[in-house]
Amino acid sequence: MSASPRRPLIRTLPAADGAQLPVSLLGKAFTVRGTLDTDGEVHVYGNVLGRINADVLVVGYDGYVEGDVVVRDARIAGRLNGRLFAFNVTLDSSADITGRIFHHTAEVAKGARIEGRMPWRPLNYFQTLEQLPENRP
Amino acid sequence: MTTMFTRNDKTSDPGAKAPEKTEPPAPVPVETKRLQASAQPMPYTGASQAVMASVISKALKITGQVESTEDIQLDGQIDGDVRGVSIKVGSNAKVKGSVYGETVELAGTIEGKIEAKKVVLTRSAHMSGDVIHQDITIESGAFIDGHCRPEFGKTENKNMPPVHKPVAVAREAAEKSSV
Repeated sequence: MSASPRRPLIRTLPAADGAQLPVSLLGKAFTVRGTLDTDGEVHVYGNVLGRINADVLVVGYDGYVEGDVVVRDARIAGRLNGRLFAFNVTLDSSADITGRIFHHTAEVAKGARIEGRMPWRPLNYFQTLEQLPENRP
Repeated sequence: MTTMFTRNDKTSDPGAKAPEKTEPPAPVPVETKRLQASAQPMPYTGASQAVMASVISKALKITGQVESTEDIQLDGQIDGDVRGVSIKVGSNAKVKGSVYGETVELAGTIEGKIEAKKVVLTRSAHMSGDVIHQDITIESGAFIDGHCRPEFGKTENKNMPPVHKPVAVAREAAEKSSV
């Protein structure tokens, strides 16, 4: 992508100017086929088929994401089909996830459905993550 | 029940040391604060929200196709086609690809095509490509490099946004079948 390959994919601390960045909102009837790339926050209430790189990702109840997600904070109340690489993960009770969740800290509400593993990774894994690992079954 | 309670009391006695052991590790307050902050707009109930427009903020770059059956406010960068109903392209926005919709209001840059019933090019608009319209407004200062043709709706319109099933419906169906 456009980002230089030397830059780690995930920040483990919020960017100093991150709070000023406006939030992107993808409404219910919104569908993206492709890559989302941002240093700010994205709220998905519609469909995203493809990869998401962001600082904070919120997937609402009606949201559906299919593809790899690389973020610092992930808060999911909708459906995700794919791998999640997130430093902090919060799953709401309506979350429905198929795939692996690579995380450092996690909060899972009662009722959340996870099909797949939730591997814990140390801090430096996220700090040095430059390329996603191969997706093996 | 009483046995249960006594047993609990007993086990809790040796466990009294537990709080020392599980003393909170180095706190990560910044992270949790941010998490809570982002939690604010979260619909916990799952109740369908009122129709809301989509906003692509200036920091967001999308590579690929975008489509919506609602309004879109674009301030970021899109490499690919956009299909929507009412599309507003902000002054910092950049689209490399075609934009199809009912109404397109352009204040930013489009490199591609516009195909819409009503097209508004504001004074900061930068349009490189053809405009197919039925009704066009061009403000003084707008840049156009391309043809303007009032042919919208005259030819077969296969590029208009498809009406797709909202996810909520699919989800309800899935929940019903799983119960």
